[in-house]
Amino acid sequence: MKDPYEILGVAKTATPDEIRSAYRKLAKKLHPDLNPGDKSAEEKFKQVAGAYDLLSDTEKRRRFDAGEIDATGAERQHERYYKDYAEAASGRRYQSASSGFDDFAQQDDFLAELLRRREQQARRAPGADRSYELEVDFLDAVNGATRRITLPDGSSLDVTIPPGIEEGQVLRLRGKGAPSRGEGPPGDALVAITIRPHRFFKREGDDITLELPITISEAVLGGKVKVPTTTGAVMATVPKGSNTGTTLRLKGKGVPKRGGGHGDELVKLKVMVPSEPNPELETFLSGWTPGSSYDPRRDMQS
Amino acid sequence: MIITKTEFLLRTHLDQQTLEIWIQEEWLSPEQADPEPLFSEADLARAGLIRDLQGDLGVNKEGVGVILNLVDQIHSLRWALSNRIGNHTPTTDDGPEPA
Repeated sequence: MKDPYEILGVAKTATPDEIRSAYRKLAKKLHPDLNPGDKSAEEKFKQVAGAYDLLSDTEKRRRFDAGEIDATGAERQHERYYKDYAEAASGRRYQSASSGFDDFAQQDDFLAELLRRREQQARRAPGADRSYELEVDFLDAVNGATRRITLPDGSSLDVTIPPGIEEGQVLRLRGKGAPSRGEGPPGDALVAITIRPHRFFKREGDDITLELPITISEAVLGGKVKVPTTTGAVMATVPKGSNTGTTLRLKGKGVPKRGGGHGDELVKLKVMVPSEPNPELETFLSGWTPGSSYDPRRDMQS
Repeated sequence: MIITKTEFLLRTHLDQQTLEIWIQEEWLSPEQADPEPLFSEADLARAGLIRDLQGDLGVNKEGVGVILNLVDQIHSLRWALSNRIGNHTPTTDDGPEPA
């Protein structure tokens, strides 16, 4: 880096006032926000500001003059300048309607046409989209529902949850976002859906899975059992000789598919022995021999 | 990105009263919301510019208004032109990603 005195154009003997006024003079000319289209102004400003940071600090200036420190690294780091944001969506609100070039736009030439079109564009630009999150119950996600979101400004938004919605899906509510700054349509509300897990239902794609406890006698003898589904309980037949892990498929009792139709509910049976000691069952089983050919662990023997 | 008033005051090292004056003067116009206005990165950078103008550059209150007005006109014009030339790429955008 060059000599900071040289950068500011002051003598080594300059007073703090002289330094400040030299800096101001240069900064007025070089401040990046006053030269939004000039990259070289930004570079020069960094040097000037760095030099001023060094020389306006009495202690730093003394040490520099004494040769204890040099000007390396004194360049001021890039800060956020307004010009970097002014033409982004959030900065555009500050743009003046057309006072800077209205007279051009009145004329009938290429530039006029071009500016007029931009005016229209700005006026018709839609408002910004707004994002929300909504947590819904498992059953509402499967069957569909209407939920109301209360917005930070106190108003509310009715969200229709289509049946079969999936975790992380985003609903776009047209026109429910921020209003347009001009005459354009409002933006959209984007509602991201999260789903609370259910106590016993689980979802696998379009199918619902469920583990259903059954008694030993239901497993051995078979029979009708009541099975919960997402739309209410139904009766299902447990086949004779069912085991833990046997799966029943209830056709069409799963999640509504997008293109129509439903997935299935898969009911995985789980045989439960009474947890309290049961003398009758014990007596019965001590008198029961499964026969020599029956060994549930046969496949494990090597 | 949306910035609350408290966060904005913290990041700009401004006091409440100064901020209110700046808003009154329309140097800053944050998005009006209830109960408090919401600020953007652009507002933050603009506050930095105002601070530079009043501090380092020694511009007085009337001068700040005039300069901001001209700066806004420059950006309107730059935007209008770059839109037409067709190489306009916004640096940042406050909107969320399209779904």
